[in-house]
Amino acid sequence: MMLLFEIKKVLSKPLNKAALLILAAVLTIGSLLTIRDVHYIDADGNSSTGISAARHLQKEKNQYEGYLTEKVLKQVIQENAALNSSAGAQSDDIQEKNKTAAKGQGFADIREMINLAFGELDNYDYCRIDSVSEDEAGSLYKQRIAGLKNYLNRDDVKDAFPPDEKEWLISKYESLDTPLYYAYADGWKALMDSQYLPTLLMITVLIIGFLVSGIFSDEFAWKADSIFFSAKLGRGKAILSKMGAGFVITTVLYWSAVLLFGFIVLAVLGFGGGDCAVQTGVSNWNSIYNITYFQDYLISTFGGYIGSLFIATLAMLVSAKTHSTVFAITIPFILTCIPPFVGRLEAFARIMNLFPDQLLSINKNLEDFSLYHIGGNIFGGVSVIIPLYLILFCLVFPVLFVVYRRTQVK
Amino acid sequence: MELKMIKLTKQFGDFTAVDHMNLTMTNGVYGLLGVNGAGKTTLMRMICTLLQPTTGKITCNGKDIYKMGADYRKFLGYLPQDFGFYPEFTVRDYLLYIAALKGIRPAVAKKRAKELIAKVGLSKAANKKMKKLSGGMKRRAGIAQAMLNDPKILVLDEPTAGLDPNERIRFRNLISELSEDRLVLLSTHIVSDVEYIANEIWLMNDGRLLHQGTADELIHSMTEGVWKCYAKKSDVPALMKRYKISNIKSEPQGVELRIISGEKPFPDAVREEATLEDVFLYYFGEKAGADDAVI
Repeated sequence: MMLLFEIKKVLSKPLNKAALLILAAVLTIGSLLTIRDVHYIDADGNSSTGISAARHLQKEKNQYEGYLTEKVLKQVIQENAALNSSAGAQSDDIQEKNKTAAKGQGFADIREMINLAFGELDNYDYCRIDSVSEDEAGSLYKQRIAGLKNYLNRDDVKDAFPPDEKEWLISKYESLDTPLYYAYADGWKALMDSQYLPTLLMITVLIIGFLVSGIFSDEFAWKADSIFFSAKLGRGKAILSKMGAGFVITTVLYWSAVLLFGFIVLAVLGFGGGDCAVQTGVSNWNSIYNITYFQDYLISTFGGYIGSLFIATLAMLVSAKTHSTVFAITIPFILTCIPPFVGRLEAFARIMNLFPDQLLSINKNLEDFSLYHIGGNIFGGVSVIIPLYLILFCLVFPVLFVVYRRTQVK
Repeated sequence: MELKMIKLTKQFGDFTAVDHMNLTMTNGVYGLLGVNGAGKTTLMRMICTLLQPTTGKITCNGKDIYKMGADYRKFLGYLPQDFGFYPEFTVRDYLLYIAALKGIRPAVAKKRAKELIAKVGLSKAANKKMKKLSGGMKRRAGIAQAMLNDPKILVLDEPTAGLDPNERIRFRNLISELSEDRLVLLSTHIVSDVEYIANEIWLMNDGRLLHQGTADELIHSMTEGVWKCYAKKSDVPALMKRYKISNIKSEPQGVELRIISGEKPFPDAVREEATLEDVFLYYFGEKAGADDAVI
């Protein structure tokens, strides 16, 4: 009962209603922009987006569905060479070029994987495939590992990683299950490999922070604190209800936004391909995390949830301690908007990788080589940051109760 | 029910708001009278466990109220001076929420809220948002929330402040009606609020208790008399410096003054019966400013 009233207090505030409308607008715009990321070029060279475009593209790409064996890779190298030598590719007419590109849409992802495997690890060459022979095709996966070794031994990089970290990174590359399984996964790629998801998560967290920041301090702003704390349950169950309201609002809003966004994007662009390794996407070829797109979605959204819980809890703690909603609202801003700028400074880059804002962009950090030594073992940043903030959340959340319970009404 | 304050002291830095108070209260209405800043609100907040005393303690039937916690607060009904509420809640929702805070079961809370809404005359406004209520209606909602748990101890801090005369009388009668079989502590600087309904009046100043007793006892505790006399308007400033003047009334020929003085201020001055308002002025003197001692 008290929990419902606490939630009602938050949701009945006119400013909070406006914040929810903003979130709905951001979700709608974000979904539309993400969907528009997937293009299909028809036989006449005309580009389109939307459900129909996604279905056509899916049909083209699924011609290559299956394990990316030497045979398939050879076929792609051959087809790419054939396209390159076609009249359309040589033409100066854009429309003709587009018609040629349309013929290559089906294997575009595989072409990118060949470009990445045979190119330098941190230097993308769009035309690298053109100089890869059919005989080399079978060495694609070995080439990926060799590319990493070359990178780690480069003069400008070799001192950045101690030998055990280099070994660890190489072992991660070696443990990737090959040959990779390929299928049309543009829905998942649009969802997970673009900046829209981290942006949506950041805005969602800011809005959640805005909503929960008043849960504790508004009692003082409304001068309702005296009655609250003099009531029988005012220093006990009522505080737990406030904490519960913060938890429920964070959980419901976060998952509503994330699941709705995912559902809209995947419903339009297709749910297929979730079982493909993230390395089949151009953004994650160098990933040290050997996971599928669906696993990437689960980890990224769960990490974002932990980040939301932690940031919302910290905002509530400031609200409970300072009795100021304004101070509390600044916490989510400080934690999500400032670290990306500070992190650009070399001196702070490593520590900033452990700031909670990183939890909101796990899907964009899969290629990050920041490693951490814990108890003699090496862990990637993503493997550290989620448990770290889960523990911190579990520690900070009960503190809320203690801080608010001790309040003196002067 | 016995509430006892033992050497109760509250300091805020160097300022002592409540200074070694020793008091005992049982069932009945206690009127706490004092100028602004006398320490009334601090005392009440300590009684309501909102503030911890610096030294001393408050006991309820012999037990420390701060150690009793919820077991003590279940006896408590409190209407603070700055009565805050949740602006977007309706009166009914507000009362149901406070009932939940007081640990009243939902079914009982609904019944109790309905009864109290009717008792304080808010039936027609039960579904109105709190922010839409008039000052008087808000105060009535305030007393209703304080009464939800049928408290054994009812603490009312300046309950009639800001109300118009009609609302004040109505409110005073309501408090009188609700005060049966419980301990009511009513703080005010409005003399007439306590004059009619308090069984015992406490005069508080600078954190200390100056005097306590019934209205009659306090009136008889004055060592000076109350005089009615007439003077020219131009003489009033000089007279105000010399005497405590509890009332000035303009007349066509000059002004009628009500003077508190140990001796007859003018040969033609007539001795009057003292009232509680005169007592207030007598004890609080210059501190009884424009906001205080309102009838």
